[in-house]
Amino acid sequence: MDELLKQFVIESRELVDKAVEDLLALEKAPNDSHRFEDVFRAFHTLKGGAGIVEFGAMQQALHGAEDALAAARAESRPVSAPDVGNCLSCLDQVVEWLDAIERGGAIPIDADSADIVALFARAGAAKRAAGTVPSTARNGWQAELLDAHRAVAARARTALRYTPATDSFFRQHDPLAQIAELQGLLAVGLALREPSPQLEDLDPFSCNLTITALVAASPPDVTAALADEARHCEIAEVSKQPRAPGGESVARKGRELLEAQLRLLETTKERRQQGRVASAGLVATNVLRHLGRRAEADAVATAAAVAIAEDRLEPLAEAIGAALNPVPSAGAAEPRRAQGSQTIRVSSERIDALVRLTGELIVAKNALQHSVKLADQATAFGVTLKNQHAALERLVNELQRAVVGIRVLPLRAAFQRFPRLVREMSAELQKPATLVIEGEDTEADKAIVEALVEPLVHVLRNAVDHGVEDAAARAEAGKPAVATIRLTAARKGEHVVIEVTDDGRGIDVARVKQVARERELVAPEAVVAMSDEEALDLIFLPGFSTADTVTQLSGRGVGMDAVRTAVSRLGGQVEVRTALGTGTTVRVTLPFSVLVTEVMTVEAGGQVFGIPLDAVVETLRVEDGGIFPIGAAHAIVVRDRTIPLIRLADLLGGAPARGKGSGPIVIAQLEGELGAVQVDRIGERMDIILKPLDGLLTGSRGLAGSALLGDGSVLLVLDLGEFVQ
Amino acid sequence: MVYKLLIVDDSKLARMAVVKALQSCHPDWQRVEAGNADDALRTAQRDPPDIALIDFNMPNKNGLDLAADLRALSPDMPIGIISANHQQQVIDRARSLGAVFLPKPLTEKALREFLATASQQLQGVPS
Repeated sequence: MDELLKQFVIESRELVDKAVEDLLALEKAPNDSHRFEDVFRAFHTLKGGAGIVEFGAMQQALHGAEDALAAARAESRPVSAPDVGNCLSCLDQVVEWLDAIERGGAIPIDADSADIVALFARAGAAKRAAGTVPSTARNGWQAELLDAHRAVAARARTALRYTPATDSFFRQHDPLAQIAELQGLLAVGLALREPSPQLEDLDPFSCNLTITALVAASPPDVTAALADEARHCEIAEVSKQPRAPGGESVARKGRELLEAQLRLLETTKERRQQGRVASAGLVATNVLRHLGRRAEADAVATAAAVAIAEDRLEPLAEAIGAALNPVPSAGAAEPRRAQGSQTIRVSSERIDALVRLTGELIVAKNALQHSVKLADQATAFGVTLKNQHAALERLVNELQRAVVGIRVLPLRAAFQRFPRLVREMSAELQKPATLVIEGEDTEADKAIVEALVEPLVHVLRNAVDHGVEDAAARAEAGKPAVATIRLTAARKGEHVVIEVTDDGRGIDVARVKQVARERELVAPEAVVAMSDEEALDLIFLPGFSTADTVTQLSGRGVGMDAVRTAVSRLGGQVEVRTALGTGTTVRVTLPFSVLVTEVMTVEAGGQVFGIPLDAVVETLRVEDGGIFPIGAAHAIVVRDRTIPLIRLADLLGGAPARGKGSGPIVIAQLEGELGAVQVDRIGERMDIILKPLDGLLTGSRGLAGSALLGDGSVLLVLDLGEFVQ
Repeated sequence: MVYKLLIVDDSKLARMAVVKALQSCHPDWQRVEAGNADDALRTAQRDPPDIALIDFNMPNKNGLDLAADLRALSPDMPIGIISANHQQQVIDRARSLGAVFLPKPLTEKALREFLATASQQLQGVPS
């Protein structure tokens, strides 16, 4: 793919993303003129880019969108929901084309804008004649041409008859060379225009040729390629489709009028005949508009303005000449191939392999560390080994930092499709709802970001489908007509917390209990004994759903249990909080990364644990009197700051500490606050791969995960933040 | 004669296309790019170009406003404004600034003609 095309794909993707964002925002705030201008500019720039790489179909599709937007602006009305929908569909098609370009390395030759153009045409149909111009009949020269070149006729889309000006030689213009340069040229024919004169009368400098050609490109593309010379050409579409009934006489009259304007211009010799130019331009524009050929009408209007401004006839003459060629009629819709695109430029398998390898490298390095410890430091060998290991450790740490850096993504990557999703769901269910997102810059491991999408979609569906009440109920409850769903993400210690909150009806715990009983999901006595919180957890049981009607979107009872499974598999947890009548919050807690770096090992209550080193601020010892009781808790004073203290041994329920101030203290940052943890012993630092908890340990509080040590044992890593809560 | 061309467009793609066209008609000329009006002005003040080619449709400050500023800096600099936007007032304003209007997308031919005229202007040949 050449550089220009590559840049085109990159820029276009960014523009599409921005355009989608702006369109949705514009829909919510239709009178925001800045936003409107942003949307308009995005489409305009996309179209410009398509022009630069000569992607005609994309230009046409985007032009349809531009027209719809311009019409709204001209008529001083806000952009309508159908318009937004059509613009979004147009952008979808653009993305498909961009994907195709990336796959194939070039602009797809079968790209067809007919669907999109038709979409916009239908929307504007009330205002203008709804017909498209039928393709012209196969008259003499075209039929001959196709006959003469049967081998390529099937691929031909345009037939061309070109009569170059007789003084082409003196104008330094080579007609044949120009034809030869046409993209998709299939066949060329040459004929004399006038019968050949006697040799002595022959003027070798006068062009007496008629050049015919069959081209695989579409008529507008050919017209564009011929630029100036198009006015000396007849360009016709080669089409096998039947003519639309009834449009022919209109089309013919239109043609005649356009040709008349052209003749008018050609006979306008003197300068300053702007009146004529303006009138010719106006007639031509109106004819084209009446024929429903808006793009060409606009082009002619533009050309007229330029012609008048520059006091030249050529721009208008050219534009009318170009318009004398039929618009391709809407072809049969090709099935859209729905395929995704790579959103990173390195294959993710390679990254995954890299992560795996790095992980294994760390385990190997740790194993080596054990051996180094065993080596006798009194010998030279022992010292050498230790130094070499230190060097290795440094390098592996760097590698790990680099690899983790590649894989960590902002959650925006998962969230950015949600506004649109919510919009579609709310439209389908007829429950106006808007999505507010916060904290999309929060980062998490790529695997987690990706795996998060499906469960979040479930949760969002539930919010719109079950959470949000219908309009009447909301009005009665005094709630705003448009429901708000908040999606927030934040990093808390070693975890990422994502919440989805709706302002809907909340979950009726009594009803939940009832359904659980009815469906015999839990023993009836157990249900009765449950607190409200425990009962709420019942919604995560498979087969649970309180919806009375199974809607298309959800309510088949697969929602929440699938969410819990997916989240658990990632080593996370999901819980629900609700207030009847006010709303519901679903909270998903996930580990930040699959690779965590350094931990400090500590011993407490006879067990060894790891504490993530980036939570640790400092370690120190205090003397006996240095720990103050405060109520039921304890605290220490460090540099005039009072810091609450936890005794890890006590927390873990292990053997009580030997004496009051004896153990070392680790000062850590917990949820932004400083906290102190007293342990029995501080061990060494090490690098580990933090694996999320699974199996029996899943859902244990206070644990960030576990790690496999070099000697084969398992180290439990604490998440001190959880203790503080 | 070798000239320095200032190319201003918020789309890198569009700038690449202009550079490509420039390289085929005047490979020896110098060029400097800017992605927005402010950068363009700074560049023009620091390292004055001979000719400027500006995209009209840019966010924040548009091409015409930039042209006005550049015109104040260099009263004789040939300026071309590229636009698909053909409203009469845009064309008029371009005229009044002594800037030439170039339709989008910019073809190599149009660029060559513009540069030929600009070059002549700079050499003092009355146009």
